[in-house]
Amino acid sequence: MTVADSPLARRNPTVKFGLLVVVSLALLFVFEPLTPAVLYVVALLAVAAGSGIRPRLLLLGHLPFVGVAVGLLLVNALSRPGIEIARLGLLRVTEEGVEVGAALGLRTLVIGVLALGFVASTDGVRLMTSLHQHARLGLRFTYAVLAGYRTLEELPREWQLIRHAHAVRARSGARGGPLGGVRAFARAGFALLVVSLRRGERLAMALESRGLGLAPRTIWRPVALSGTDAVFAAASLVVLAAVFALTLPR
Amino acid sequence: MALVSMRQVAVAFPRRRAGVLNGITLDIAPHERVLVIGGSGSGKSTLLQLVSGVIPHSVTAEVEGTVTVAGVDTGATSVVELSRIVAVLAQDPASGICLPTVEEEIALPMENRGVDPAVIPARIDAALEAAGVTRLRTRRTTQLSGGEGQRVALAAALAAEPALLLLDEPTSMLDSAGVSAVRDAIAASVARYSPAVILVEHRLDEFAGRAGLAALPERTIVLGADGTLAADGPTGEVLAEHARALTASGCWLPIGNELDAVFGGVGGLDSPVVRAGLLALGRPSPRGEPEGAPGPAGDSGPKEAPRPAWSPTLLAATHLAVSRTRPARRTRTPHTPVLSGVDLDLRAGQVVALLGANGSGKSTLLLTLAGLLPATAGTVVGKRPGMVFQNPEHQFVAHTVSGEVGYGLPPGSDALVARLLDDHGLAHLADQSPHRLSGGEKRRVSLAAMLAHGRGTLLADEPTFGLDRRATIGVIGALRGAAREGGAVMFSSHDLRTVATLADRAVVVAHGRVVADGPVFDVLRDESVLAKAHLALPPLIRWLLENVGSDAGVLRALLALDSEVAVPAAAS
Repeated sequence: MTVADSPLARRNPTVKFGLLVVVSLALLFVFEPLTPAVLYVVALLAVAAGSGIRPRLLLLGHLPFVGVAVGLLLVNALSRPGIEIARLGLLRVTEEGVEVGAALGLRTLVIGVLALGFVASTDGVRLMTSLHQHARLGLRFTYAVLAGYRTLEELPREWQLIRHAHAVRARSGARGGPLGGVRAFARAGFALLVVSLRRGERLAMALESRGLGLAPRTIWRPVALSGTDAVFAAASLVVLAAVFALTLPR
Repeated sequence: MALVSMRQVAVAFPRRRAGVLNGITLDIAPHERVLVIGGSGSGKSTLLQLVSGVIPHSVTAEVEGTVTVAGVDTGATSVVELSRIVAVLAQDPASGICLPTVEEEIALPMENRGVDPAVIPARIDAALEAAGVTRLRTRRTTQLSGGEGQRVALAAALAAEPALLLLDEPTSMLDSAGVSAVRDAIAASVARYSPAVILVEHRLDEFAGRAGLAALPERTIVLGADGTLAADGPTGEVLAEHARALTASGCWLPIGNELDAVFGGVGGLDSPVVRAGLLALGRPSPRGEPEGAPGPAGDSGPKEAPRPAWSPTLLAATHLAVSRTRPARRTRTPHTPVLSGVDLDLRAGQVVALLGANGSGKSTLLLTLAGLLPATAGTVVGKRPGMVFQNPEHQFVAHTVSGEVGYGLPPGSDALVARLLDDHGLAHLADQSPHRLSGGEKRRVSLAAMLAHGRGTLLADEPTFGLDRRATIGVIGALRGAAREGGAVMFSSHDLRTVATLADRAVVVAHGRVVADGPVFDVLRDESVLAKAHLALPPLIRWLLENVGSDAGVLRALLALDSEVAVPAAAS
């Protein structure tokens, strides 16, 4: 199974995006760790089985989320007032702090693993087309994002070119090489901004000259929204509701 | 009824004294193909922008008179609405392509016009086939070379079957292989879709290629320096009649037309009059006017002083290997370098040309010599060199031209900045933003800003790329001047006429190695080296090398031909 033809990749991008938003919103009101912990296990299994993402990539993708989660746990455990359960020098660890911190950290992991599955199983162009088709996203906005994405892909190359072009004119340091520093960095950043703005201007003109905004228009390869998507959405919501019902304290 | 019609059109931009276009009246019929030429700043691009509606809708300008396309007033119709009739192929392939994959890019204009999705795949195939890029259909657009990108943009422009195709210097940003591929793609696509065509181009020698006049549109419009219509008629007649003036204003004419005009012959290199004239230009003559060279043939040919047989080495590379990416820290497999075993010495007073096909590692070698990329193997010894990049905009840091030239200089360098601005014909632009200048002016600013540092060695990546002939001659003068003042210069280029005129020595890279290093004319005479590096010798250079007895004579002839171009006194 590859990423491109995995079960998740065949689902409608807007539906997937919507479910991601629903889960995030639902977790906003949960401050105890059991619910997100169960959800995390379910989400991890679903993403691992359904998106075709390589295990190694799934693991590496966790790193930033784990970092944030640990940070949330520590900050809350050490700073929240409540019943003291341990003492580390001047710092007190509270029961409430550990509980809320764990809940927030696990929330980060749930959203993180779902986002990983979403990104791995969704093509950018299909997402934008689908958002335009099924979520009434404006045409100009849709294509501005797509064109901007292309500019973004070329940004690293432009950045290196500009850094080189600037470094060659910097004053020589003690060892004969160019002097760097924060100001040189800022100047290069400004040059990148100017170059990108001019490119954006030209892209906007190119999109106009291709007739973006004429009506009526057609869509060559519309993104499908099928009965299976409805079943997928319903099943996901039922699982979410069930986990909430079984784990939340009454 | 005319497809495009202009009546007494005048265009002026805010904050500029003279109008860009004045009193233009013309008609273009459906399916007619028209070439628009004129010197830098004569309003060629403005004319195209009037037709596409970019002026006055996206670019602010005062427009008098009326412009109609298919009976629609462009001043009262939006660019988007006009796109039903007009398609545009811009200069820079990178800014003309909007979507991540080739087929989506080509489908977009059809979707916008409401073409039935069922027929779109077949029309994508047809457009790609006409442009000769069928194999690129599912490619990502970031992976395309310049020539491929331009052909994809052409397919996208024509797939929607517009009545009018605007070509704005479509090949000026490409290497020679790209130029011929795009030229052939345009010819085949225009034959298939037969839209009316307006082509703006100043590099007619390359665009026409071996086919000469036959490859150009049958009608030509010449815009004068004052923005008026200087000529309008059959291409052959117009080029013959106005060749001198066009050459003087910086157009690159098809070589036959350029030579006929200079010598009054018919038939270019086949004409006995032209041949005799070229031979006469090549003969040493008493100081001043070379015999047979009409016009202001200056005696100050920049390359004429005899070169010293020996001069100090300013930068030396030994067993150098270069690679674009930094060696990864944790991988055991070493990087395959683009070039290896490079031994080079750059000497004071010498100009060296770096030649090779696209992707052969020329830019990487220059960046490594400049100390900007680490060498994969070997060493570079010498004082830190200066370098100018292909796109001058990448190096701009200041808000004014004088700030740009003075950037990174110690305090109290005002006199030096003033002298450089003067030397490079930039004094009148000192307070302008460098981003607002013409291509040739931007290039001069970037050169002056680098020369200000007095680094000894100057490296230049494609310094004449996309410039008109007048600006090219200005760059030749500036680089030659840097060598005359004791610097070592190395530049990469695809333009072998510029190479022959400017360089003392040529280094050719191919297949990951240096395959030739020697006096420029010896290298250009070596057919096997040219073949290895996919270099095509222009007919003029080939004829001169075969028929003019001495290398000095070949150079004299080339310089005399360049002196036909009116270069602003300060530019060289």
